[in-house]
Amino acid sequence: MKNFNDSHLEVKKFFKGHFDTHPYEVGWADEAIFFVMVQKIEGNPTMVAQVQISQDGVHWCNDGSEPAVIRGLGQHAIKVQPNFGNYLRVAVDIEGGEMFLNLHIACKG
Amino acid sequence: MSVDEIMLRSRFQPLERILSYDIFNTGLNGWMTLMPNFTEYPDFDVPKTLVNKDQWPPVMLSSATFRYPGTHGAMSGTYSMKLSTRPKANPYVEKPAEGCLGHAIKRMSFWRPGSKYLQIECWFTYTAEQDVVDGGDRPQPGLHENSIRDFGLGFDVQEGGKRYHVGMRYLNAVDGQMKQKWQYEFSNDEITDKDWAFGLEGDWCKKGVDPWWFGRRYPNGDHDGFKDLPDGEQKLIYNETDCKLNWQYMRLKIDTQLREYVEFQCQDKTWDMRGIPADCVDGYGRIDNLINPLFWVGTDTDRRVFFYIDSVVVSQE
Repeated sequence: MKNFNDSHLEVKKFFKGHFDTHPYEVGWADEAIFFVMVQKIEGNPTMVAQVQISQDGVHWCNDGSEPAVIRGLGQHAIKVQPNFGNYLRVAVDIEGGEMFLNLHIACKG
Repeated sequence: MSVDEIMLRSRFQPLERILSYDIFNTGLNGWMTLMPNFTEYPDFDVPKTLVNKDQWPPVMLSSATFRYPGTHGAMSGTYSMKLSTRPKANPYVEKPAEGCLGHAIKRMSFWRPGSKYLQIECWFTYTAEQDVVDGGDRPQPGLHENSIRDFGLGFDVQEGGKRYHVGMRYLNAVDGQMKQKWQYEFSNDEITDKDWAFGLEGDWCKKGVDPWWFGRRYPNGDHDGFKDLPDGEQKLIYNETDCKLNWQYMRLKIDTQLREYVEFQCQDKTWDMRGIPADCVDGYGRIDNLINPLFWVGTDTDRRVFFYIDSVVVSQE
């Protein structure tokens, strides 16, 4: 039977501007999804979220995918493209307002 | 006898009844991040608090992969359970910074009548993130051992209408100064619940409960929630660089009938703790017979630190 695990990365907090999620190890997993629940909004924010990978959890590069553009309340998903190695994070920029987030990573493998 | 059974009997000293034997190479086995209670109106919000508890990072299955040596792996395979902090610490005497701690917890319960002893034992290791090299007058630049403030293991127990936290804390460094000694959880008698919350009004807390983020701290490393273990100085292995991990053993045994500590072991040293009482408060509603084993780690500076558990056994007798 496969392993599955969902972990929080950010909960119950307003964000604006730039932040990177906590370095998360997923070497055991075959697939990964970032779930971005936008629970509240102030202003008219747009999130641009870029999946990034790392060899050592310290130095990061984009994973080659197009950044996700997220607007509006509700649940959004960023499906990570295959071949992501061990360390994953998402680099987030929020402009035009603030978003109150519940941001998780769900992995299976 | 399976390989797992051989490893259990060779690497651990379980009591008669094994409640759980978790090898993290197989998964997290029910260990998860400790989070605040999501109980408040209107949207499962967090109760008002003085210490933000929703910034503790998630536990994860780690391959312990580093910049130059690559994957270190675990003692029992590739993956261990990793606790981590955010790169943020307050000075020791201040209340904990958001995200300066990492926790892992598993939630179980008493199941047999007459159980007296309860024990947790594990193989562990720890390191600081290899982010930037601290230079200056350090005896060995690049060795960030003193970025790790503390780590530990223990239980949150409620039985017979009493709740108590029992556990061992390795106080590694205080504001950059190495301490390297064991302390046990027990809160000072002369303090109040308000003192426990750093003298601030407005938090729900009970003296003796949750000493990882409550309890005043003092410049010499003293803590209102922990007391020095007699003869508790011990230099653990921190092997030359932040990317070398040596797996080490520790074990805590308590008596849930006398509500006392019994014994603590780390590496090849054992301390007799009989006669040291557990720090009891009146029980909470709906959780009698609770057994929650737990681990934690704290950073002493603005650098992530990591605490790895290869495998853990919880047993009763």
